Amino acid sequence: MTLSATLKSGAATMLAIAVAGAALLVATDTRSEELKSYDSSKKDFWLHPPDDWFMGDETQEQKGTHVLNTLPPPTGFTDDEIKATLQKIKLPPGFKIELWASGVPEARQMAWGKDGTLYVGSFLATNVYAIKDDGGQRTVKTIAKGMKMPTGIAYRDGALYVADIDKIYKYDNPEANPDELPEPKVVYDDMPPYPPHGWKYLAFDKDGWLYVPFGPPCNECLPPTSTSQIRRVNPGNGLAEIVALGVRNSVGGDVDPRTGDYWFTENARDWLGDDVPSDKLNHITKIGEHFGYPYCHQGDIPDPKFAMGHKCSEFSPPALKLGAHMAPLGMKFYTGDQFPADYKNNIILTEHGSWNRHQFQGARLVRVTTDPDGKTVKQTEFATGWIGEDGKYRGRPNDVLEAKDGSLLVADDFTGAIYRISYSK
Amino acid sequence: MLRAMLSSMRLLLIAVSASAFFVGTEPGSPADLQAGQDLAAGCAGCHGADGISEAPLTPSLAGQPDEFVQWQLVYFRSGARKDEVMGPIAQALSNDDIRNLGAFYASLPSPKPTILPDGLSQAGEKLAALHRCRSCHADDLNGFRAAARLSGQREDVLLKALRDFKSGKRVGSGVASMADATFELSDADLQALSHYLATRP
Repeated sequence: MTLSATLKSGAATMLAIAVAGAALLVATDTRSEELKSYDSSKKDFWLHPPDDWFMGDETQEQKGTHVLNTLPPPTGFTDDEIKATLQKIKLPPGFKIELWASGVPEARQMAWGKDGTLYVGSFLATNVYAIKDDGGQRTVKTIAKGMKMPTGIAYRDGALYVADIDKIYKYDNPEANPDELPEPKVVYDDMPPYPPHGWKYLAFDKDGWLYVPFGPPCNECLPPTSTSQIRRVNPGNGLAEIVALGVRNSVGGDVDPRTGDYWFTENARDWLGDDVPSDKLNHITKIGEHFGYPYCHQGDIPDPKFAMGHKCSEFSPPALKLGAHMAPLGMKFYTGDQFPADYKNNIILTEHGSWNRHQFQGARLVRVTTDPDGKTVKQTEFATGWIGEDGKYRGRPNDVLEAKDGSLLVADDFTGAIYRISYSK
Repeated sequence: MLRAMLSSMRLLLIAVSASAFFVGTEPGSPADLQAGQDLAAGCAGCHGADGISEAPLTPSLAGQPDEFVQWQLVYFRSGARKDEVMGPIAQALSNDDIRNLGAFYASLPSPKPTILPDGLSQAGEKLAALHRCRSCHADDLNGFRAAARLSGQREDVLLKALRDFKSGKRVGSGVASMADATFELSDADLQALSHYLATRP
């Protein structure tokens, strides 16, 4: 069986399951009326997600929590304001954080080019940026604009890859023109066209395949069978395979340098309360593993509506529960030599911070230690302080990337800035 | 009376922002309502003396959420929202100007509706419920943070905005939510919705 055939038959099986599940609901569930807009057996769900895809499950208890509460001030932050925040960031002894570059609106995933250019994606700003470091002076250039949501960025063998909702673009030799990206080639486009949970994160494995997340276009639903999964995509020939199923919104992951296994962060569903369910760190140990969505959350909470008879024991539990509404996003295994030796092969992951919670939490960096098998996984706070004493955000980290010297860059889409964390004894 | 209210609000704002200023991490300098009012004199020709517009296709700004006004000015300034008139005007605004204008317009009494409910507005009311306008624009549809006040806005302004969101000509602050909300609506639906919103107090 070829890889593309694997994808097709996998999708067909899942479609059958979803349709059967939907039929069951209509037949037996008196609440089917309120569920009907989340029924992916209807064609329009595939073309256009429900209008209420993220507020539709709003409860009286969680009312007032809203994404609009998490927007930065419209006129942004000055460098002095950002530096004042960084002075208050708490790190382990010996570490320091500084402002590395500003004027990078909605900065998301980062990747290094071959000549030391830092490429940065963005969210609704629709831009891709290139940041040049010339002896400590950094220049930010917008090298692509007007994309949909070019959040996912990767670089390999002299080419920049950008995941923009429904296309992965490849830009050969992007360094040739420092002002503008060249005409891209589309290397993969078998992806839904809509924005809801369609923003992506990219991670190359050792073979040059890209891990690509596909979020469901809803908070909680029977997702279209082309979503709610992680695929591994070969940008060389456009083939793909599904490596994980039952995944909600994942926007971060990395390949363990010790094993080649893919680990990824996953945002759990909303509107069940301030403190449940927990967001997750997952570890794929076999191809096609199912992580529970939409039936089961955090490995042990069956969904109140969508469990539909499934038990949590049917699904892979998370490697680590990260806490409710933390919004874990970009993550990397640390492979450098600058940090203390016990940081080697640890995961540093970013938590963007909550919106569907009465008091914000998250907006921090977490250090995760794990053995290669993922049997003993522990987390400790690494960098905190982006929530002010007034409970408001002062920054929202969403990606990390190791620099050549072993220091760590942090992207913040709230302040539109990149920070640098370094260590010295 | 209004002026007295404004100036006491201004003092309050300055006090709040000044204490935050010394902490050093609060973004932006204090909003200055008087400066906002002075600057807004230049906007009155189109947007009305009290921020209540009598000009076709020109929105009333009185009572809009502070953040909504600021975001739109930022979008006009960056070119993310295109408009031949507002583009060049916003180009000339500083961050302080934008904060002052936002605070000033938010402080003005909102417009009273000039049309009465009828059959068309009843149809619009149903659509507003079905398409979850209140999820972002608040239960009273008076706006919330970056989401506009819809109640009592000019009908022609509302209709143009909805058409622009549907066609993709305009993008809002909320993760493509307006494109989603208008996706399935016909032009007749958009007309009913704008009519309903314009009748709301």
